[in-house]
Amino acid sequence: MSEPKDRHAAVTGIGVVAPNGTSTDTFWKATQEGLSVLDRVTREGCEHLPLKVAGEVRAFDPAATIEERFLVQTDRFTHYAMAAADFALEDARLGQASIPDAPYSIGVVTAAGSGGGEFGQRELQQLWGKGSRFVGPYQSIAWFYAASTGQVSIRRGFKGPCSVVASDEAGGLDALAHAARAVRRGTDVIVAGSTEAPLAPYSMVCQLGYAELSREPDPTRAYRPFTQGACGFVPGEGGAMLVVESADAARERGADIRALVAGHGATFTGASRWTESREGLAHAIGQALSEAGCAPEEIDVVFADALGVPEADRAEALALADALGEHATRVPVTAPKTGIGRGYCAAPVLDTAAAVLAMEHGLIPPTPNVFDVCHDLDLVTGSARAAEPRTALVLSRGLMGSNSALVLRRGNAG
Amino acid sequence: MPQITVEELAALMKKAAGVTVSPQQLMEKPETGFDVLGVDSLGLLGIVGELENTHGTPMPVDAERCKTPQQFLNLVNTTLMAGA
Repeated sequence: MSEPKDRHAAVTGIGVVAPNGTSTDTFWKATQEGLSVLDRVTREGCEHLPLKVAGEVRAFDPAATIEERFLVQTDRFTHYAMAAADFALEDARLGQASIPDAPYSIGVVTAAGSGGGEFGQRELQQLWGKGSRFVGPYQSIAWFYAASTGQVSIRRGFKGPCSVVASDEAGGLDALAHAARAVRRGTDVIVAGSTEAPLAPYSMVCQLGYAELSREPDPTRAYRPFTQGACGFVPGEGGAMLVVESADAARERGADIRALVAGHGATFTGASRWTESREGLAHAIGQALSEAGCAPEEIDVVFADALGVPEADRAEALALADALGEHATRVPVTAPKTGIGRGYCAAPVLDTAAAVLAMEHGLIPPTPNVFDVCHDLDLVTGSARAAEPRTALVLSRGLMGSNSALVLRRGNAG
Repeated sequence: MPQITVEELAALMKKAAGVTVSPQQLMEKPETGFDVLGVDSLGLLGIVGELENTHGTPMPVDAERCKTPQQFLNLVNTTLMAGA
Protein backbone atom coordinates (compact mmCIF):
# COMPACT_ATOMS: atom_id res chain seq x y z
CA MET A 1 0.00 0.00 0.00
CA SER A 2 1.44 3.40 -0.88
CA GLU A 3 1.72 6.04 1.79
CA PRO A 4 -0.77 8.86 1.51
CA LYS A 5 1.17 11.99 0.59
CA ASP A 6 -0.96 14.54 2.39
CA ARG A 7 0.01 13.44 5.89
CA HIS A 8 3.07 15.62 6.38
CA ALA A 9 5.16 14.84 9.45
CA ALA A 10 5.66 17.92 11.58
CA VAL A 11 7.89 18.61 14.56
CA THR A 12 5.66 20.07 17.26
CA GLY A 13 7.76 19.61 20.38
CA ILE A 14 11.42 19.51 21.38
CA GLY A 15 12.87 18.08 24.60
CA VAL A 16 16.58 18.31 25.33
CA VAL A 17 18.88 16.98 28.03
CA ALA A 18 22.35 17.98 26.83
CA PRO A 19 25.78 18.73 28.30
CA ASN A 20 25.22 22.46 27.65
CA GLY A 21 21.65 22.62 28.90
CA THR A 22 19.01 20.42 30.48
CA SER A 23 16.10 22.26 28.89
CA THR A 24 15.51 23.31 25.29
CA ASP A 25 15.91 26.98 26.22
CA THR A 26 19.24 26.59 28.00
CA PHE A 27 20.50 24.27 25.26
CA TRP A 28 19.66 26.80 22.57
CA LYS A 29 21.12 29.72 24.50
CA ALA A 30 24.44 27.90 24.97
CA THR A 31 24.40 26.58 21.40
CA GLN A 32 23.81 29.93 19.74
CA GLU A 33 26.45 31.53 21.95
CA GLY A 34 28.93 28.90 20.80
CA LEU A 35 29.74 27.93 24.35
CA SER A 36 31.96 24.85 24.68
CA VAL A 37 31.34 22.68 27.72
CA LEU A 38 33.84 19.97 26.80
CA ASP A 39 35.82 19.22 29.92
CA ARG A 40 37.86 16.62 31.72
CA VAL A 41 35.91 13.43 32.45
CA THR A 42 34.86 13.42 36.10
CA ARG A 43 32.73 10.24 36.29
CA GLU A 44 33.76 7.88 39.04
CA GLY A 45 36.01 5.07 37.91
CA CYS A 46 37.00 6.81 34.66
CA GLU A 47 39.86 8.99 35.90
CA HIS A 48 42.63 6.59 34.88
CA LEU A 49 41.38 5.93 31.35
CA PRO A 50 43.21 7.40 28.34
CA LEU A 51 40.00 9.13 27.21
CA LYS A 52 40.30 12.42 29.08
CA VAL A 53 37.78 14.83 27.55
CA ALA A 54 34.03 14.45 27.04
CA GLY A 55 30.75 16.32 27.15
CA GLU A 56 29.15 15.35 30.47
CA VAL A 57 25.60 16.20 31.48
CA ARG A 58 26.18 17.69 34.92
CA ALA A 59 23.08 19.73 35.69
CA PHE A 60 20.47 17.00 35.54
CA ASP A 61 18.65 15.56 38.55
CA PRO A 62 16.63 12.57 37.35
CA ALA A 63 14.68 12.35 40.62
CA ALA A 64 13.28 15.82 39.98
CA THR A 65 11.22 14.59 37.02
CA ILE A 66 11.06 10.79 37.12
CA GLU A 67 9.35 8.52 39.63
CA GLU A 68 11.66 6.36 41.73
CA ARG A 69 10.21 3.10 40.51
CA PHE A 70 11.21 4.00 36.95
CA LEU A 71 14.63 5.17 38.10
CA VAL A 72 15.54 1.87 39.80
CA GLN A 73 14.54 -0.08 36.67
CA THR A 74 16.59 1.91 34.21
CA ASP A 75 20.02 3.16 33.22
CA ARG A 76 21.09 6.78 32.96
CA PHE A 77 20.47 6.77 29.16
CA THR A 78 16.82 5.95 29.78
CA HIS A 79 16.58 8.59 32.52
CA TYR A 80 17.61 11.12 29.87
CA ALA A 81 15.06 9.67 27.44
CA MET A 82 12.15 9.77 29.90
CA ALA A 83 12.95 13.35 30.89
CA ALA A 84 13.49 14.53 27.30
CA ALA A 85 10.23 12.86 26.24
CA ASP A 86 8.39 14.66 29.05
CA PHE A 87 9.92 18.00 28.01
CA ALA A 88 9.05 17.41 24.33
CA LEU A 89 5.44 16.44 25.09
CA GLU A 90 5.04 19.43 27.37
CA ASP A 91 6.55 21.65 24.67
CA ALA A 92 4.02 20.23 22.19
CA ARG A 93 1.25 20.80 24.73
CA LEU A 94 0.43 17.11 24.82
CA GLY A 95 -0.04 16.66 28.56
CA GLN A 96 -0.94 13.56 30.53
CA ALA A 97 -4.61 14.49 30.28
CA SER A 98 -4.76 14.38 26.49
CA ILE A 99 -3.42 10.84 26.20
CA PRO A 100 -5.83 8.45 27.99
CA ASP A 101 -8.53 8.96 25.34
CA ALA A 102 -6.39 7.72 22.51
CA PRO A 103 -3.36 5.74 23.69
CA TYR A 104 -3.06 3.96 20.34
CA SER A 105 -2.53 7.23 18.50
CA ILE A 106 0.88 7.80 20.11
CA GLY A 107 4.00 5.69 19.65
CA VAL A 108 7.71 5.89 20.46
CA VAL A 109 10.82 5.44 18.30
CA THR A 110 14.34 5.68 19.66
CA ALA A 111 17.84 4.81 18.52
CA ALA A 112 20.71 3.90 20.80
CA GLY A 113 24.27 2.81 20.27
CA SER A 114 25.72 2.62 23.74
CA GLY A 115 22.82 1.15 25.75
CA GLY A 116 22.75 0.97 29.53
CA GLY A 117 26.42 0.34 30.21
CA GLU A 118 26.50 1.79 33.69
CA PHE A 119 23.58 -0.31 34.94
CA GLY A 120 24.95 -3.37 33.17
CA GLN A 121 28.39 -2.96 34.70
CA ARG A 122 26.94 -2.76 38.20
CA GLU A 123 24.98 -5.97 37.75
CA LEU A 124 27.86 -7.81 36.08
CA GLN A 125 30.03 -6.86 39.03
CA GLN A 126 27.39 -8.45 41.27
CA LEU A 127 27.47 -11.54 39.08
CA TRP A 128 31.22 -12.06 39.20
CA GLY A 129 31.69 -10.63 42.69
CA LYS A 130 28.89 -12.40 44.55
CA GLY A 131 27.10 -14.76 42.19
CA SER A 132 24.11 -14.96 39.88
CA ARG A 133 21.62 -14.78 42.77
CA PHE A 134 22.73 -11.21 43.41
CA VAL A 135 21.94 -9.91 39.91
CA GLY A 136 18.75 -7.83 39.93
CA PRO A 137 16.01 -8.83 37.48
CA TYR A 138 15.93 -5.37 35.86
CA GLN A 139 19.30 -6.17 34.32
CA SER A 140 17.23 -8.11 31.77
CA ILE A 141 15.86 -4.87 30.34
CA ALA A 142 17.88 -1.88 31.58
CA TRP A 143 21.14 -2.40 29.66
CA PHE A 144 19.34 -3.16 26.43
CA TYR A 145 19.44 -0.51 23.70
CA ALA A 146 15.64 -0.88 23.31
CA ALA A 147 14.99 0.07 26.96
CA SER A 148 14.20 3.73 26.34
CA THR A 149 11.44 3.07 23.82
CA GLY A 150 9.91 0.51 26.18
CA GLN A 151 10.10 2.60 29.33
CA VAL A 152 8.89 5.84 27.73
CA SER A 153 5.87 4.03 26.28
CA ILE A 154 5.09 2.17 29.52
CA ARG A 155 5.53 5.22 31.72
CA ARG A 156 3.37 7.47 29.57
CA GLY A 157 0.85 4.81 28.54
CA PHE A 158 1.54 5.05 24.80
CA LYS A 159 0.23 2.05 22.88
CA GLY A 160 0.81 3.19 19.30
CA PRO A 161 3.59 1.80 17.09
CA CYS A 162 6.82 1.51 19.07
CA SER A 163 10.19 0.62 17.66
CA VAL A 164 13.93 0.92 18.02
CA VAL A 165 16.34 1.69 15.23
CA ALA A 166 19.72 0.00 15.43
CA SER A 167 21.74 1.56 12.66
CA ASP A 168 24.79 3.07 14.24
CA GLU A 169 25.08 6.78 15.04
CA ALA A 170 23.14 7.71 11.91
CA GLY A 171 20.29 5.81 13.58
CA GLY A 172 19.37 9.05 15.32
CA LEU A 173 18.26 10.48 11.98
CA ASP A 174 16.83 7.15 10.86
CA ALA A 175 14.63 7.12 13.98
CA LEU A 176 13.21 10.52 13.06
CA ALA A 177 12.59 9.32 9.51
CA HIS A 178 10.95 6.18 10.84
CA ALA A 179 8.70 8.35 13.01
CA ALA A 180 7.77 10.45 9.99
CA ARG A 181 6.85 7.30 8.05
CA ALA A 182 4.69 6.04 10.93
CA VAL A 183 2.89 9.38 10.92
CA ARG A 184 2.36 9.21 7.15
CA ARG A 185 0.91 5.73 7.62
CA GLY A 186 -1.70 7.00 10.01
CA THR A 187 -0.35 7.38 13.56
CA ASP A 188 -1.04 10.86 14.93
CA VAL A 189 2.03 11.29 17.13
CA ILE A 190 5.41 9.62 17.53
CA VAL A 191 7.81 10.62 20.29
CA ALA A 192 11.13 10.09 18.56
CA GLY A 193 14.79 10.65 19.18
CA SER A 194 17.80 9.34 20.99
CA THR A 195 19.65 9.73 24.26
CA GLU A 196 22.93 8.10 25.21
CA ALA A 197 25.02 7.68 28.36
CA PRO A 198 28.41 6.36 27.21
CA LEU A 199 30.40 8.02 30.00
CA ALA A 200 30.84 5.23 32.54
CA PRO A 201 33.85 2.93 33.04
CA TYR A 202 32.66 -0.11 31.08
CA SER A 203 31.15 1.98 28.27
CA MET A 204 34.27 4.11 28.02
CA VAL A 205 36.55 1.09 27.83
CA CYS A 206 34.39 -0.18 24.95
CA GLN A 207 35.12 3.04 23.07
CA LEU A 208 38.86 2.95 23.57
CA GLY A 209 39.23 0.66 20.57
CA TYR A 210 37.90 3.33 18.19
CA ALA A 211 40.76 4.77 16.18
CA GLU A 212 38.60 7.88 15.64
CA LEU A 213 38.41 8.72 19.35
CA SER A 214 40.33 11.83 20.41
CA ARG A 215 42.93 11.26 23.12
CA GLU A 216 43.80 14.94 23.37
CA PRO A 217 43.62 16.05 27.03
CA ASP A 218 43.09 19.76 26.29
CA PRO A 219 39.33 20.40 26.00
CA THR A 220 39.85 23.33 23.62
CA ARG A 221 41.88 21.21 21.19
CA ALA A 222 40.31 17.78 21.55
CA TYR A 223 37.55 18.06 18.93
CA ARG A 224 38.32 20.35 16.00
CA PRO A 225 36.83 18.97 12.78
CA PHE A 226 37.60 20.56 9.41
CA THR A 227 40.90 21.99 10.72
CA GLN A 228 44.56 20.96 10.42
CA GLY A 229 44.35 20.18 14.13
CA ALA A 230 41.62 17.55 13.70
CA CYS A 231 42.56 14.65 15.97
CA GLY A 232 39.35 12.67 16.33
CA PHE A 233 36.04 13.15 18.08
CA VAL A 234 35.07 13.67 21.70
CA PRO A 235 32.13 11.65 23.02
CA GLY A 236 29.17 13.28 24.69
CA GLU A 237 26.01 12.17 26.48
CA GLY A 238 22.37 13.18 26.82
CA GLY A 239 20.24 13.77 23.75
CA ALA A 240 16.88 14.91 22.55
CA MET A 241 13.38 13.64 21.93
CA LEU A 242 11.06 15.29 19.42
CA VAL A 243 7.32 15.12 19.03
CA VAL A 244 6.73 14.16 15.40
CA GLU A 245 3.09 14.64 14.58
CA SER A 246 0.80 14.58 11.60
CA ALA A 247 0.55 18.17 10.39
CA ASP A 248 -3.21 17.77 10.12
CA ALA A 249 -3.54 16.53 13.70
CA ALA A 250 -1.34 19.41 14.89
CA ARG A 251 -3.45 21.98 13.05
CA GLU A 252 -6.64 20.44 14.37
CA ARG A 253 -5.56 20.89 17.98
CA GLY A 254 -4.05 24.30 17.29
CA ALA A 255 -0.44 23.27 17.87
CA ASP A 256 2.47 25.12 16.28
CA ILE A 257 4.16 23.34 13.40
CA ARG A 258 7.79 24.02 14.23
CA ALA A 259 9.24 22.22 11.19
CA LEU A 260 8.41 19.54 8.66
CA VAL A 261 10.43 16.34 8.29
CA ALA A 262 10.65 16.65 4.52
CA GLY A 263 13.14 14.06 3.31
CA HIS A 264 15.55 11.35 4.40
CA GLY A 265 18.13 9.11 2.84
CA ALA A 266 20.37 6.40 4.29
CA THR A 267 23.28 4.37 2.92
CA PHE A 268 25.98 2.05 4.22
CA THR A 269 29.64 2.10 3.23
CA GLY A 270 31.41 -0.04 5.85
CA ALA A 271 33.09 0.49 9.22
CA SER A 272 35.72 3.25 9.34
CA ARG A 273 35.88 3.40 5.53
CA TRP A 274 35.82 7.17 5.56
CA THR A 275 36.98 7.75 1.99
CA GLU A 276 34.07 5.60 0.81
CA SER A 277 31.67 7.51 3.06
CA ARG A 278 31.92 10.37 0.53
CA GLU A 279 29.89 8.42 -2.00
CA GLY A 280 27.52 7.03 0.63
CA LEU A 281 26.82 10.39 2.21
CA ALA A 282 26.36 12.07 -1.19
CA HIS A 283 23.80 9.41 -2.13
CA ALA A 284 21.99 9.83 1.19
CA ILE A 285 21.82 13.59 0.61
CA GLY A 286 20.53 13.01 -2.92
CA GLN A 287 17.81 10.69 -1.64
CA ALA A 288 16.78 13.14 1.06
CA LEU A 289 16.61 16.06 -1.39
CA SER A 290 14.62 13.96 -3.83
CA GLU A 291 12.11 12.84 -1.21
CA ALA A 292 11.75 16.44 -0.03
CA GLY A 293 11.33 17.72 -3.59
CA CYS A 294 14.14 20.10 -2.75
CA ALA A 295 16.74 21.60 -5.10
CA PRO A 296 20.32 21.81 -3.76
CA GLU A 297 20.17 25.62 -3.82
CA GLU A 298 17.22 25.57 -1.45
CA ILE A 299 19.36 24.23 1.41
CA ASP A 300 20.00 27.22 3.67
CA VAL A 301 22.11 25.55 6.34
CA VAL A 302 23.95 22.25 6.81
CA PHE A 303 24.49 20.64 10.21
CA ALA A 304 27.57 18.58 9.47
CA ASP A 305 28.52 15.19 10.81
CA ALA A 306 31.97 16.66 11.57
CA LEU A 307 33.81 13.59 12.79
CA GLY A 308 37.11 15.37 13.30
CA VAL A 309 39.17 12.77 11.47
CA PRO A 310 40.97 14.40 8.51
CA GLU A 311 40.03 11.67 6.02
CA ALA A 312 36.39 11.71 7.18
CA ASP A 313 36.17 15.52 7.18
CA ARG A 314 37.51 15.60 3.61
CA ALA A 315 34.98 12.95 2.56
CA GLU A 316 32.14 14.97 4.08
CA ALA A 317 33.21 18.19 2.36
CA LEU A 318 33.48 16.32 -0.96
CA ALA A 319 30.11 14.61 -0.42
CA LEU A 320 28.51 18.03 0.01
CA ALA A 321 30.20 19.18 -3.21
CA ASP A 322 29.02 16.04 -5.02
CA ALA A 323 25.43 16.41 -3.82
CA LEU A 324 24.98 20.19 -3.78
CA GLY A 325 27.35 21.23 -6.56
CA GLU A 326 28.58 24.85 -6.41
CA HIS A 327 26.10 25.56 -3.65
CA ALA A 328 28.26 23.46 -1.30
CA THR A 329 30.86 26.22 -1.05
CA ARG A 330 28.24 28.92 -0.39
CA VAL A 331 25.80 27.30 2.03
CA PRO A 332 26.55 27.97 5.71
CA VAL A 333 27.74 24.80 7.45
CA THR A 334 27.86 24.35 11.20
CA ALA A 335 28.76 21.70 13.75
CA PRO A 336 27.62 22.78 17.22
CA LYS A 337 28.52 19.33 18.53
CA THR A 338 32.15 20.48 18.86
CA GLY A 339 30.98 22.27 22.00
CA ILE A 340 29.15 19.36 23.61
CA GLY A 341 30.71 16.22 22.18
CA ARG A 342 29.38 13.59 19.93
CA GLY A 343 26.61 11.70 21.67
CA TYR A 344 26.58 8.79 19.23
CA CYS A 345 22.95 8.27 18.06
CA ALA A 346 21.89 11.29 20.08
CA ALA A 347 24.25 13.66 18.24
CA PRO A 348 22.22 14.04 15.03
CA VAL A 349 18.99 14.36 17.03
CA LEU A 350 20.48 17.26 19.00
CA ASP A 351 21.57 18.69 15.63
CA THR A 352 18.01 18.33 14.38
CA ALA A 353 16.71 20.13 17.48
CA ALA A 354 19.28 22.87 16.87
CA ALA A 355 18.29 23.06 13.19
CA VAL A 356 14.62 23.59 14.07
CA LEU A 357 15.58 26.24 16.63
CA ALA A 358 17.94 27.90 14.13
CA MET A 359 15.10 28.20 11.60
CA GLU A 360 12.80 29.62 14.28
CA HIS A 361 15.30 32.13 15.61
CA GLY A 362 16.85 33.12 12.27
CA LEU A 363 20.29 32.36 13.64
CA ILE A 364 22.88 29.80 12.63
CA PRO A 365 24.86 28.68 15.67
CA PRO A 366 28.65 28.50 15.41
CA THR A 367 31.13 25.62 15.66
CA PRO A 368 32.93 26.01 19.02
CA ASN A 369 36.72 25.61 19.18
CA VAL A 370 37.01 25.69 15.39
CA PHE A 371 38.55 28.77 13.71
CA ASP A 372 41.02 27.68 11.04
CA VAL A 373 38.96 25.77 8.47
CA CYS A 374 41.03 23.90 5.88
CA HIS A 375 38.23 22.81 3.56
CA ASP A 376 36.24 24.64 0.91
CA LEU A 377 33.24 25.11 3.17
CA ASP A 378 31.59 28.17 4.66
CA LEU A 379 31.80 26.87 8.22
CA VAL A 380 30.14 29.17 10.74
CA THR A 381 32.74 29.86 13.43
CA GLY A 382 33.17 32.32 16.27
CA SER A 383 29.66 33.67 16.75
CA ALA A 384 26.20 32.87 15.46
CA ARG A 385 25.28 34.19 12.04
CA ALA A 386 21.99 35.95 11.40
CA ALA A 387 20.15 34.34 8.51
CA GLU A 388 16.69 33.24 7.54
CA PRO A 389 17.07 29.54 6.98
CA ARG A 390 13.93 27.92 5.63
CA THR A 391 15.41 24.53 4.81
CA ALA A 392 18.05 22.65 6.78
CA LEU A 393 20.11 19.57 5.97
CA VAL A 394 21.34 17.43 8.88
CA LEU A 395 24.06 14.84 8.26
CA SER A 396 25.24 11.90 10.30
CA ARG A 397 27.68 9.05 9.87
CA GLY A 398 28.38 6.17 12.18
CA LEU A 399 31.70 4.58 13.04
CA MET A 400 30.30 1.30 11.74
CA GLY A 401 29.51 2.69 8.29
CA SER A 402 25.99 4.15 8.24
CA ASN A 403 25.38 7.46 6.49
CA SER A 404 22.16 9.45 6.78
CA ALA A 405 20.77 12.78 5.68
CA LEU A 406 17.61 14.53 6.81
CA VAL A 407 15.95 17.56 5.20
CA LEU A 408 13.81 19.80 7.41
CA ARG A 409 11.56 22.63 6.28
CA ARG A 410 10.65 25.54 8.50
CA GLY A 411 7.17 25.40 9.99
CA ASN A 412 4.70 28.20 10.52
CA ALA A 413 5.68 29.08 14.08
CA GLY A 414 8.72 31.24 13.40
CA MET B 1 13.22 -19.36 60.82
CA PRO B 2 12.22 -15.75 61.49
CA GLN B 3 9.05 -14.58 59.80
CA ILE B 4 8.98 -11.81 57.22
CA THR B 5 7.32 -8.73 58.58
CA VAL B 6 5.46 -5.97 56.77
CA GLU B 7 8.37 -3.71 57.70
CA GLU B 8 10.80 -5.97 55.88
CA LEU B 9 8.52 -6.24 52.85
CA ALA B 10 8.06 -2.47 52.69
CA ALA B 11 11.83 -1.95 52.82
CA LEU B 12 12.36 -4.50 50.05
CA MET B 13 9.67 -2.92 47.86
CA LYS B 14 11.60 0.32 48.16
CA LYS B 15 14.99 -1.25 47.51
CA ALA B 16 14.13 -3.67 44.71
CA ALA B 17 11.27 -1.89 42.98
CA GLY B 18 11.60 1.78 43.96
CA VAL B 19 8.11 1.78 45.46
CA THR B 20 7.56 3.73 48.65
CA VAL B 21 4.85 2.25 50.84
CA SER B 22 4.64 2.35 54.63
CA PRO B 23 4.33 -0.81 56.76
CA GLN B 24 1.07 0.69 58.08
CA GLN B 25 -0.36 0.85 54.58
CA LEU B 26 0.62 -2.75 53.95
CA MET B 27 -0.95 -3.75 57.26
CA GLU B 28 -4.19 -1.82 56.73
CA LYS B 29 -4.73 -2.76 53.09
CA PRO B 30 -2.87 -6.04 52.55
CA GLU B 31 -5.08 -6.96 49.61
CA THR B 32 -4.07 -3.97 47.48
CA GLY B 33 -2.47 -5.51 44.40
CA PHE B 34 1.25 -5.24 43.70
CA ASP B 35 0.29 -3.80 40.31
CA VAL B 36 -1.67 -0.99 41.96
CA LEU B 37 1.25 -0.32 44.29
CA GLY B 38 3.59 -0.09 41.27
CA VAL B 39 5.52 -3.34 41.71
CA ASP B 40 5.71 -5.17 38.38
CA SER B 41 6.66 -8.83 37.88
CA LEU B 42 10.39 -8.09 37.65
CA GLY B 43 10.15 -6.01 40.81
CA LEU B 44 8.54 -8.89 42.67
CA LEU B 45 11.17 -11.26 41.31
CA GLY B 46 13.81 -8.89 42.72
CA ILE B 47 12.11 -8.92 46.13
CA VAL B 48 12.09 -12.73 46.13
CA GLY B 49 15.79 -12.78 45.19
CA GLU B 50 16.65 -10.41 48.03
CA LEU B 51 14.72 -12.55 50.51
CA GLU B 52 16.45 -15.72 49.34
CA ASN B 53 19.85 -14.06 49.72
CA THR B 54 19.20 -12.64 53.19
CA HIS B 55 17.47 -15.74 54.56
CA GLY B 56 19.71 -18.21 52.79
CA THR B 57 16.81 -20.37 51.71
CA PRO B 58 14.91 -20.76 48.42
CA MET B 59 11.40 -19.35 48.21
CA PRO B 60 8.57 -21.28 46.55
CA VAL B 61 8.27 -20.69 42.79
CA ASP B 62 4.78 -19.31 43.30
CA ALA B 63 6.13 -16.45 45.43
CA GLU B 64 6.88 -14.32 42.40
CA ARG B 65 3.36 -14.91 41.07
CA CYS B 66 1.55 -13.55 44.14
CA LYS B 67 -0.82 -10.71 43.37
CA THR B 68 -0.95 -9.00 46.77
CA PRO B 69 1.32 -8.42 49.78
CA GLN B 70 -1.10 -10.51 51.86
CA GLN B 71 -0.79 -13.53 49.54
CA PHE B 72 2.93 -13.07 49.37
CA LEU B 73 3.49 -12.88 53.13
CA ASN B 74 1.22 -15.87 53.77
CA LEU B 75 3.02 -18.04 51.24
CA VAL B 76 6.54 -16.99 52.16
CA ASN B 77 5.98 -17.22 55.91
CA THR B 78 4.35 -20.62 55.60
CA THR B 79 7.42 -21.80 53.72
CA LEU B 80 9.83 -20.32 56.27
CA MET B 81 7.83 -21.88 59.11
CA ALA B 82 7.95 -25.31 57.46
CA GLY B 83 11.69 -24.98 56.96
CA ALA B 84 12.29 -24.03 60.59
